[in-house]
Amino acid sequence: MSDGVPVPGQPSPVPVAPAPPAPPAPPRSTVRALSCPNCGGIVNVRAQGLTVSILCEHCGSTLDATSPELQVIARANHALKQPQIPLGTRGTLNGHVWEVVGYMERTDEDVFWAEYLLFNPYEGYAFLVDDGRRFSLGIMLDQLPKTMFGSLLLLDRRPYSRFGRPYPVRVTFVVGEFYWRIAVGETVTETDFVRPGTMLSCEEYETERTWTRLDMLDWGVAEKAFGIPPRRRNYRYPAPHEPSPYKRQFAEAVVVGLVALFLLGMVSNAGGHEQQIIQLTSRVAFDAAGRNVVIRGIVLPAGRSRVAIEADAGSIDNAWVNVDYTLTNEATQRSVRSYTTVEHYAGNDSNGAWSHGDPRDEVALSSMPGGRYDLSVTLVAHRWNRRGGDSVPTTDEERAFFAHRSRDPGDRIATTGADPGAATAPVTITVKRGGAFGGVSFLAFLMIVAWPVIVLFKHFGFEKRRKAPGYASDD
Amino acid sequence: MIETNCPNCGAPIRFGSNDLPVKVCDYCHSSVLRTGGNLQAIGKVAEVPEDVSPLQLGVRGRDGDRRFELVGRVRWRYADGAWNEWLALFDDGSTGWVGESSGRYMMLRQVAENAIASVLVDQVKSGRLIAVGTPITINGIEYIASDAKQVTCVASEGELPFHAPLGLSAVSVDLMTPDGGCASIQKDTDGEVEIYTGRYTALDGLHVTGLRSFEGWPMPAFAA
Repeated sequence: MSDGVPVPGQPSPVPVAPAPPAPPAPPRSTVRALSCPNCGGIVNVRAQGLTVSILCEHCGSTLDATSPELQVIARANHALKQPQIPLGTRGTLNGHVWEVVGYMERTDEDVFWAEYLLFNPYEGYAFLVDDGRRFSLGIMLDQLPKTMFGSLLLLDRRPYSRFGRPYPVRVTFVVGEFYWRIAVGETVTETDFVRPGTMLSCEEYETERTWTRLDMLDWGVAEKAFGIPPRRRNYRYPAPHEPSPYKRQFAEAVVVGLVALFLLGMVSNAGGHEQQIIQLTSRVAFDAAGRNVVIRGIVLPAGRSRVAIEADAGSIDNAWVNVDYTLTNEATQRSVRSYTTVEHYAGNDSNGAWSHGDPRDEVALSSMPGGRYDLSVTLVAHRWNRRGGDSVPTTDEERAFFAHRSRDPGDRIATTGADPGAATAPVTITVKRGGAFGGVSFLAFLMIVAWPVIVLFKHFGFEKRRKAPGYASDD
Repeated sequence: MIETNCPNCGAPIRFGSNDLPVKVCDYCHSSVLRTGGNLQAIGKVAEVPEDVSPLQLGVRGRDGDRRFELVGRVRWRYADGAWNEWLALFDDGSTGWVGESSGRYMMLRQVAENAIASVLVDQVKSGRLIAVGTPITINGIEYIASDAKQVTCVASEGELPFHAPLGLSAVSVDLMTPDGGCASIQKDTDGEVEIYTGRYTALDGLHVTGLRSFEGWPMPAFAA
């Protein structure tokens, strides 16, 4: 401001030539203290020559910085609240020192946020936008983004998609100095375009249209730069340009999951190809006392392995065989029991031919400790003959089946098959070890896949919240 | 280069370019007009108010591969602020302007009046402002008008192509292209229309040296 005081570094008028060279002037401060014409308080002007409006931090009056004596534009006399980062604070962001020169609060009538005006005499202005959760650094664009098709913009060969519709943004609070005429209540129309991490914001005010690029800062960066407590991480109400934190986690989960699946495959495979240990066929008489077969010396390798026992009474017809297994460790005499029923029924009725039951079944015992085992198999065979009535199914399933068939008036049992009148049924017992871990492997697979799936769902949830209009209010 | 004395106060003054007829005396702020060998003080101009611009007279820089020195400045004001235009004298004797507004810079050079359609020249001459958003083709490149305003001269210093007294008024239309190009159409008090084209640039894009230093602010690496 020209106030009659000689400017340091400039020689005073000398009518004789040549003047001796003046010593280099000490660097001038960018801050100049003036007094508020309304309240008399000290107003520090930090961007002299660029600043247009000053809001006195003591009384709230609006001063015209383009007039030499700071003419009062709007008088006010009330204490102002202080921004969280005080005016005049300097901090380093992206390699440049910035000084806080102005602060304003704005709203789109749904949410409120704060914007700090930052200044550096060599870099010009920047905006530090604080949505209460995270900070973004805004730089005014000196180029116009290209409009692509639809609502897509292109800037520096990167696409930005429009976020919502244009909306009014109103200033609700101002303090400090600004390079434009600012006033509480001033409303601009804003349109946002986003890509993860960056927002292009177009502000239209009367005949002016300005573009700002906002880059989201990492958690804690702005707080550290300007000396305020770090914000707590939370992703409940993401900003429109907030990158999903789950995207990277998902990629990691997929990589880890693939490695785990590969290892699981290797282990399952190493756990062994299924290997037949023994097979024998025994004949059991129908409707007689059961028959017991003992297979000795089944050797299981050290560690845990899977044992599968299959009973195959392939040729039975309208009969069932109850099979009980007891696998006993020779050394410890610990035993594991299991059982199954193999059965087969067939006939003809008004609906045509029917058949029921499976003459072959396998039971699997997983995680058997290594050692020598004896397998005791007890076989009890029954023939089912409705006309005979001397052979009644004993299990619930058999009874239900029998009752159903009995109600059918057209029912007619036809005994077919290889040996309908045979007195005994051949049952083949096959013992196998190793092979797929079955249930255990499947469980492991589910556990491995669960993590990426959970992260993926979190990512979808985040993106849904991010795209929700405005920030959702608390549930 | 001509070294002489101010006809008003006698202080030494220097004309660095033969093509720049006006020099503002550093001591008495007289605007000295040079016509042939004659010097004439044609009035006083206002002293440039103190500001925090990193530029100053004597700053050297480079636009592409062409070197320049800042030799003059005009400060303009409009209803909502003020900005500087620094006259860059290139080594080949040509000139350009470094516009400095709100901490942003543009390098502009004058182009011929026939670079735009004559109807537009006539429109600007007649005083009708060009509406913001109007597309205007200059030398085959399409610009969009981004701002149009009435401006007045606040102050000037150094060597200039014209006398810039306080209150000199002009009409200024700013234009932009999508890729950082910019242009300015100005109508001076005499009704002459001048057209400038150039581009937005950061200070480091001009490879400037000799910037002003400010207490407490590190000199940027590019200017050290």
